[in-house]
Amino acid sequence: MKLSSQKVLSQILPGEIGIIFEFLDSGVATKLLSMGVLPGSTIEVRRYAPWGGGMIIKVDELVIALRKDEAETISIK
Amino acid sequence: MALKVVIAGNPNCGKSSLFNQLTGLNQKTANFPGVTVEKKTGEFYFSKTEKAILTDLPGAYSLYPNTKDERIVVKTFLDVLDNDFPDVVIYVADVNKLDKHFLLFTQLKDLGIPIILVLNMKDLAQKEGLRIDTKKIENQFGIPVCEISSRTGEGIEDLKKSIHKLSEEISSFSAPLPDYKFSPIERQVASEIQLEFNVQGIYRALLIAHHKDWYLDKNNSKIDHILAKHGFEPVHFQVKETMSRFDWFTPIIARSIKKTASKAQNLADRIDSLVIHKIAGPILFLIIMVLVFQAIFALASYPMDWIEMLFAFAGSTLSGWLPNSWISNLITDGLLAGLGGILVFIPQIAILFFLITILEEIGYMARAAFLFDRLMQTFGLNGRSLVALISGGACAIPAIMSTRTIPSWKERMITIMVTPLISCSARIPVYTLLIGFSVPAITVGIFNLQGLAFMGLYLLGIIAALVSAIVFKWILKTEDRSYLLLELPNYRTPVMRNVFITVYEKVKSFTLEAGRVIILISVILWGLANYGPGDTIEKAEELALNVASEQNLDEQMTNDLIASYQIEASYAGILGKSIEPVIAPLGFDWKMGIAIITSFAAREVFVGTMATIYSIGSADDEATLKERMEKEVHPETGEKVYSIATSFSLLLFYVFAMQCMSTLAVVKRETNSWKWPIIQFVFMTLLAFLSSFAAFQLLSA
Repeated sequence: MKLSSQKVLSQILPGEIGIIFEFLDSGVATKLLSMGVLPGSTIEVRRYAPWGGGMIIKVDELVIALRKDEAETISIK
Repeated sequence: MALKVVIAGNPNCGKSSLFNQLTGLNQKTANFPGVTVEKKTGEFYFSKTEKAILTDLPGAYSLYPNTKDERIVVKTFLDVLDNDFPDVVIYVADVNKLDKHFLLFTQLKDLGIPIILVLNMKDLAQKEGLRIDTKKIENQFGIPVCEISSRTGEGIEDLKKSIHKLSEEISSFSAPLPDYKFSPIERQVASEIQLEFNVQGIYRALLIAHHKDWYLDKNNSKIDHILAKHGFEPVHFQVKETMSRFDWFTPIIARSIKKTASKAQNLADRIDSLVIHKIAGPILFLIIMVLVFQAIFALASYPMDWIEMLFAFAGSTLSGWLPNSWISNLITDGLLAGLGGILVFIPQIAILFFLITILEEIGYMARAAFLFDRLMQTFGLNGRSLVALISGGACAIPAIMSTRTIPSWKERMITIMVTPLISCSARIPVYTLLIGFSVPAITVGIFNLQGLAFMGLYLLGIIAALVSAIVFKWILKTEDRSYLLLELPNYRTPVMRNVFITVYEKVKSFTLEAGRVIILISVILWGLANYGPGDTIEKAEELALNVASEQNLDEQMTNDLIASYQIEASYAGILGKSIEPVIAPLGFDWKMGIAIITSFAAREVFVGTMATIYSIGSADDEATLKERMEKEVHPETGEKVYSIATSFSLLLFYVFAMQCMSTLAVVKRETNSWKWPIIQFVFMTLLAFLSSFAAFQLLSA
């Protein structure tokens, strides 16, 4: 489903930003939608956790921690 | 009748602070039916004479739950006929994140329940230059709005007035139509469900369509038929509903708020760069945990000593006053000892929760959990499990109680199951005694051999905990997927009121809930050690007196000898002898059998029981006991009873075996069933048995 030019959130480096294109996993989507993170929202990647762990992102005034495999299900344009 | 009020809101919106502000210490904790989610209820007066019963719901972002815990919120609002169905909802929103916190609010409002919108964190908003037009929000949404600060208590009286006003309007309250614009399919589906199942309100019917799998009985063909007929795709409509709600209220909120740029975020980011740094982060965590561990371990030892002294004093005073009968024995040695055994844990519980709640309140715990999440996942655990495992090194009881913050059911159960394998402080006296004569006190290089053995036993416990965790990860099944995905709270100064209420609640629930089981088992153990069939106990005393007079023993030695003969004749002694065939392959005799049975009260009782059996009298005389045990030889073979093989086998047994009734009582309370403590008891005892068996057989071969 993923186009080759399309990135997922886990590929965004700390300090960079991306805009959510779509959610590829309904569980992650449900949670993020409920938090107010929607397709079209701007995500700023704050930092990665050590040892291949997750990442911290900032969406508006929310700071959210998520796992790498969760970040892989969010496609970015 | 008291007004039924619930507090709802997103996680970290300050719900619990408001709950504490309203109820103070007038609250109690239980579980929601069928799940291990904490249900806090309390009472308060919203006018001079009118009382409300307040329930604090778990934090949720919307009425579309991801986990079993979040379902409780949905269930509360769907079960119209339930006794606990709320009359009024207090919806708490953080003003600093108002546009995010409005989704659940608009959903609850569409359910047609009288609702008050509480805008929290007034104090922080003012500091950040945030100004809100509450009148505008009141007019736009047609509901009462209160501005409060749950940290300082500002605005609480206004909130009570609003509740009072709303309570008077309840009888004439008519549910307004939902603000959400249903699509044709949603409207069709919802109206048919409404008719078919006689549901109150069309939005509630729509939610039932979404949540039928877990809310209704499985295979409800009528509803499946309705959904299929209209081609209702739950996920599609959920996304549509969520987006449409945000599109609707985001501009309204933007118009009601004046904002100036905030500096707090930059500061939070700078702190994060240290806390989540790949080297500094773990070091900081380790330092904090060493301090926490030291505090539980060292600081708690003073009040624990006082409690023990107090109970020893009370015991001896009471037995002096009371006539020498079985009742006074039951009171002093059974009940009083049991009560002392409960109260002695309170300092550790209080200190651990005092520190952990402060770390939680300032926003550190969520970040530490994130930092270690990857590592702990390997073992089927959660980042937050690490705190439980480390504090388990002092005592498993507060450690297990601290697992409530682990959101995933499976990860929480695994943490609870493996935490008692970490060597707690009660094992130290046993380790000291046994290492004392099984490991020579020499130094190899720079290492003291006994010290190495000590460390080895701790390591063994840690390895066993992690390996068992992997096994449980593999065995336990859950339909809930595990997520990390969590909102990191802002860094804040802790509200001490919340900290003290948490400590008080934890101590209270341990004393009342686990305490009952502990008292009961103490009395049973007391009975086992003090009674025997028929007049065997009296006969044992006579026999001991005869032996004593033959050997011209003084009074102290005579009493010690009587105690030793009596415990052999008691039910505990009989039990010890009857399990001897089972424990003989581990290298244990019936005397050790008795000690293992009485150790169930607490592991350190091993030392005292051994002292009684070998008629040493006082358990404090560890050196004498050690000498006596070293000299003990097998009656037939003449070999040393405490050989290297037996000592190591016994040590392994104490590392792995579940010998703590207080821990089992707490596991029972935390998991809300006897199933988990039983599984835990069986697997730990089996692990202990097998490793002791292997060690003894290998070493004595």
